Amino acid sequence: MENAKDTFYITLRNRLAVLNPQRVIILRGLQRPGILVEEAEAVVPQMPADAFVLRWTGLAVDAQLPSALAEMTCEVHYTTGGTQTNGGLDRGRALAEMDAELLSILSPNCAQKMNYTQTPTTAMETQVFWTEPQFQPMVTLRERLTRVAKLTVFAFEEQGEL
Amino acid sequence: MSADLSVRNPNNSPLLMADALLRASGGMVVSLLVAPLTTDSTDAGQVGVNAPNFQQLPLSPATFRKIRVAMQDDQLSQYELLISASAVQQQVSALQLASADALFDTAAGVEINGTQFVIESRSVSEALGQVYLYRLFVREAHAWLQPVL
Repeated sequence: MENAKDTFYITLRNRLAVLNPQRVIILRGLQRPGILVEEAEAVVPQMPADAFVLRWTGLAVDAQLPSALAEMTCEVHYTTGGTQTNGGLDRGRALAEMDAELLSILSPNCAQKMNYTQTPTTAMETQVFWTEPQFQPMVTLRERLTRVAKLTVFAFEEQGEL
Repeated sequence: MSADLSVRNPNNSPLLMADALLRASGGMVVSLLVAPLTTDSTDAGQVGVNAPNFQQLPLSPATFRKIRVAMQDDQLSQYELLISASAVQQQVSALQLASADALFDTAAGVEINGTQFVIESRSVSEALGQVYLYRLFVREAHAWLQPVL
């Protein structure tokens, strides 16, 4: 399951880097595309703005198939306060831009499963695939607009996999 | 009603007094955990596989005390860490950061007497616009697995 989660994140990260190279964050001293896995970073009191945060929640396993099929729920959280240039008055537009970017990087909705724990990274036998995102209602908290998009990521468990 | 227009030149006395008080009340050395000088740009470094190898920045003098006792199972003890502003400023200058906020924003936690704590919030004490003390609210990172020796 970890390989599927890693593959999903790296796929979205690479697509985001191509789609919008301007959306970057600095994390642990490194500038990288503006997307991160919450459980793989240090605990912070507030989510970073203008970046996508992946939070893994639900898990179900269908063991009736020849290979066990893992179904993992992923919540993509993102929040923005707009730009300083526009005094935050463009926060609605900034959120809409992030909605569109998320929709774009989620397509096509599959990727070759990779094992990132090995060096060099190795391709596995199956693919990771996911559903269309379900966008939740926008939440306004002071100057920040926040949205969560939920989707389910599927992956077959391969021999000897975590 | 008249305005107070008297001239008050800021000086280092609040800083020196804070340092003296911190030394007198413990004067311990704590370490702020920040990003390493050599960053890990690999994929494995972003998915939680590689150890982050945080750099430990010593901050001294500081005092540390418990401010809330855990009385229930789900209630975590909370601690207060008071750090000298001069120590923070030294590290901000050494790392060529814009401000102390930038330093604390990049911190993953703080190590006190060999135990790691998570920073929950922070505030400052200042006199005439000059910060002389940083106050961090921290809690123990109970959930972290310790390596088997």
